Amino acid sequence: MNKSIRVFIADDNRLLREGIASMLAQEEDIIVIGSAMSGSEAIKQIKKLRPDVALIDIGMPDKDGLDVTQALYKDLPSVKVIILGMPDLTDEIMVCIESGAAGYVLKEASFEYLVESIRSVKRGESFCSPRMAASLFSRIAELAGERIPESSVKLTPREVEVINKIADGMSNKEISGQLYIEEQTVKNHIHNILDKLQLHNRLEAVQYARERKLLKQKPE
Amino acid sequence: MAFNEVKHDMRKTRVLIASRPKLLSEVIHYMIQRQPDMKVVSEVLDPLELFLLIKTLRADVVIVTPLPGNGDPHICIKLLAAYPLLIIVTQSAKGEAAYLYQTNVPKKRINEPSAQSILDAIRQAMQSIAS
Repeated sequence: MNKSIRVFIADDNRLLREGIASMLAQEEDIIVIGSAMSGSEAIKQIKKLRPDVALIDIGMPDKDGLDVTQALYKDLPSVKVIILGMPDLTDEIMVCIESGAAGYVLKEASFEYLVESIRSVKRGESFCSPRMAASLFSRIAELAGERIPESSVKLTPREVEVINKIADGMSNKEISGQLYIEEQTVKNHIHNILDKLQLHNRLEAVQYARERKLLKQKPE
Repeated sequence: MAFNEVKHDMRKTRVLIASRPKLLSEVIHYMIQRQPDMKVVSEVLDPLELFLLIKTLRADVVIVTPLPGNGDPHICIKLLAAYPLLIIVTQSAKGEAAYLYQTNVPKKRINEPSAQSILDAIRQAMQSIAS
């Protein structure tokens, strides 16, 4: 006989918390071992009871669902957390996943769907609806687009020259004198270099150029 | 035994559920259907459909999730104007508050809304109408 899935419920909505517990009690393979109405109480109880699956409401008083998920992921990674969320917000789902949640179920979902999610995460799977998965894929693609692939970054010969002068320890004024350009033009070049490479300062630009062997070898 | 069952059935309070989110609606459905003296006549979301179904299904009670906001939900005022004998229970989606509305009776706050406190409030209201 299969071992029952031990479930914990944390939700400040008493009717929902008690109702879900009563309904889950009807499932043959699920046993509700405890519940809590606040985040801090949930963490305390879950550490004591060590359920297989914790259903955690996203918006609880004191510590919210994300705080609870992070705490559990850090201290009790074996407990699979399913976040019970209200809005279908992709960013919120992303944060939940990053915090260590194994599943995200909207309260707009059916009870049957919730039960399916509990069984899924117990099997070690991650769980979200196909619609949520589609949103997540889009969001991931968006984020990937925000990071410029390194291969597509092209520094102009002039910009490489400017980095070389910076590496030589020259100030903007000295570089402008050496390259016969205005100091403001030097500043523009540096700004463009940092922007293209998504770096923060001149030192990082030199480091970048050194790693990619863009710096001219100095004669011995 | 059979008599009792029929007797219960005749007196069953007819409940129409218009709650959100769906999980809460299913919990309320489960809670009501386990009561021997109550019966879920339907679940509905569209306000217009709600208005029509109260009459068609002869609902005694409506459990509804109003839109967030202050004061008495507009829908309660409209429903009571159309159906003076109706009992309305409002349950916020977040669950922090529930109220019971009846015609000519001050709204009653159901403290710490739970299955039991909501069922008790409905029964009391039904009794007050019967008497």
